[in-house]
Amino acid sequence: MKKNQIDNKNVSTPKKGAKRRKMKTFEQRQNRFGYLFMLPWIIGFVIFTAIPFIATIYLSFTEVKQTVMGFEIKFIGINNYTMAFFENVEFVPALLDFIGMVIPYAFVIVIVSFILAFLLNRIVFLKGFLRTIYFLPVIIMSGPVMYQLLDSGSSPEQGEAVRQFTDIFILQMIDSYSPALADIMVSVFSELSTILWFTGIPIVLFINGLQKINPSLYEAAQIDSANSWQILWKITIPIIKPIALVVTIFTIAQLGTFETNPVYGLIKKATENTSGGLGVASTYAWIYSLIVLVIIGLAFLLFRESKKVRRHVI
Amino acid sequence: MRNLIFSKGRIGSRFKLVLKLSIYFVLVCISFIYLEPIFRIISMTFMSGKDVIDPSIEWLPKNPSTDNLKVAADVLKLKSSLFNSIWFSALMAFAQTVVSALTGFAFSRYNFKFKKLWFVMLLVAFILPVPLLMIPRLMIFISGQTILGFNLIGTPIPQILMALSGQGVYSTVLILIFYNFFNLIPFSLDEAAMIDGANPLQVFYQIVVKISFSTVLVVFLFSFVWNWNETYVTGTLVRNSIELLPAKLNLFDSAFETYASAVKSSAQFKINEGYKMAATLISITPLLILYGFVQKQFIQGIENTGITGE
Repeated sequence: MKKNQIDNKNVSTPKKGAKRRKMKTFEQRQNRFGYLFMLPWIIGFVIFTAIPFIATIYLSFTEVKQTVMGFEIKFIGINNYTMAFFENVEFVPALLDFIGMVIPYAFVIVIVSFILAFLLNRIVFLKGFLRTIYFLPVIIMSGPVMYQLLDSGSSPEQGEAVRQFTDIFILQMIDSYSPALADIMVSVFSELSTILWFTGIPIVLFINGLQKINPSLYEAAQIDSANSWQILWKITIPIIKPIALVVTIFTIAQLGTFETNPVYGLIKKATENTSGGLGVASTYAWIYSLIVLVIIGLAFLLFRESKKVRRHVI
Repeated sequence: MRNLIFSKGRIGSRFKLVLKLSIYFVLVCISFIYLEPIFRIISMTFMSGKDVIDPSIEWLPKNPSTDNLKVAADVLKLKSSLFNSIWFSALMAFAQTVVSALTGFAFSRYNFKFKKLWFVMLLVAFILPVPLLMIPRLMIFISGQTILGFNLIGTPIPQILMALSGQGVYSTVLILIFYNFFNLIPFSLDEAAMIDGANPLQVFYQIVVKISFSTVLVVFLFSFVWNWNETYVTGTLVRNSIELLPAKLNLFDSAFETYASAVKSSAQFKINEGYKMAATLISITPLLILYGFVQKQFIQGIENTGITGE
């Protein structure tokens, strides 16, 4: 209140006392109306995101029991963590499964969607139609649908597919060199259409970015007799890099929140056990989220570092 | 000299033609990989039980029938679950659209304190995995239940509250769509309205929202689709008290068993891929129809998010 009056003195000297209170500086009005419009979101963010985020960290060290009166929370130290890592036989394999899924998937999704966007950007006829097809999975993709598809694909056909792929000579070579890498490649190939279903939004983002590159840059490079391969590596990719970062983070977030991944099932099972499982569930959720955030951080570092190196060279 | 250039140009154009054709070839082939699961769903839907097991049948069923569809529709309780899914998703979408518009407007038009911090928080809210937040949220609602004295879990109220406060499914993306579109609307329009005595709420509704009707529609549609497809939060908070189509699909196997034992006592009536795929087809058909009408708006909506950071 005091501040208002001081500001009003600076701006003008209104005649009526009643109006003096209403008058505010432009800055204050901006502040007030900005927060007025933001209010629902801020309340929601604090109650449903910020507080739960901190609460989960705390809950992961506790045992939660639901009673008639409410929740009984007992601090039990790192018991939940030792339970998750050493006693529960399901958690660590599920976690490793998840990591082994997210990293190759994200890698393939980003590269494939860039290539498709690059090719789509080169053509005119049928462009809209093909883009419509590539975007279609975004609309229909949901946990249950994916589950049904993977389920129907896995029973007889997938085994066959794996065998088919291991017949390929190159894969056998890779297999003799490093079985883990071959496993990853086989899983990528056999679930190619599932992986491709995640590329809908990345393709549109990449096309959008490619269209915004100034054509005169390409012309300048052509005048300096650069071929299209050089143009791709020296102009297109460096410019598109920030978009690739956004796409990578988006993809990891999408894969991380997608319901077919194995850790989700464990967390859900523990959450449903409201009588005593909430503490354990929050431990699972916290470890899992930490890993997702670390992977996102790694992606961030990867793109950041290459940027620095480039600047250094120039 | 001229001749040489001419011939070189012709070779170049022929090379370009081959290149173009090969690009088309690759893109069309890949589009079939995209559509393969959908084709598989459709072909299996119309297969009879024998066709599903028959290894010689890959795509075209020998004895096409619509039996699978009828049974799947019965098991899914199509009429009620479709109706429930539509009103549930539409309600959430409405709430999310309103809040996203308000928040996008605040970010686009006002310079308030800590604006950058809030913007970062907006992005953080997107990155944080949902299971991390779900447990305390569940506890908040269960405690709220005991304080208020009526059920919150099992009703759409918790999710409406979350949608109304901008913490629904992919709320950040929806806010960014609005934010970027509002930035394209000239500020002088707002100023003109303010000079004519409009208050900020009037500026927001009468000027900005009315101009961006197409964006409002896009956000509503996206929110509708995402809420339709969302099963984790719904499964935790609503559980089975409202029958929604995707949730029913999730539990299709067990629902099918109870249905089979109730309707036909014979052991022949067993679940197979045909029934499952028919159920999947039923659950995606409403979305496919929607996409058929408004696919252009969907793609433009994502293009307008500007989350690529310009």
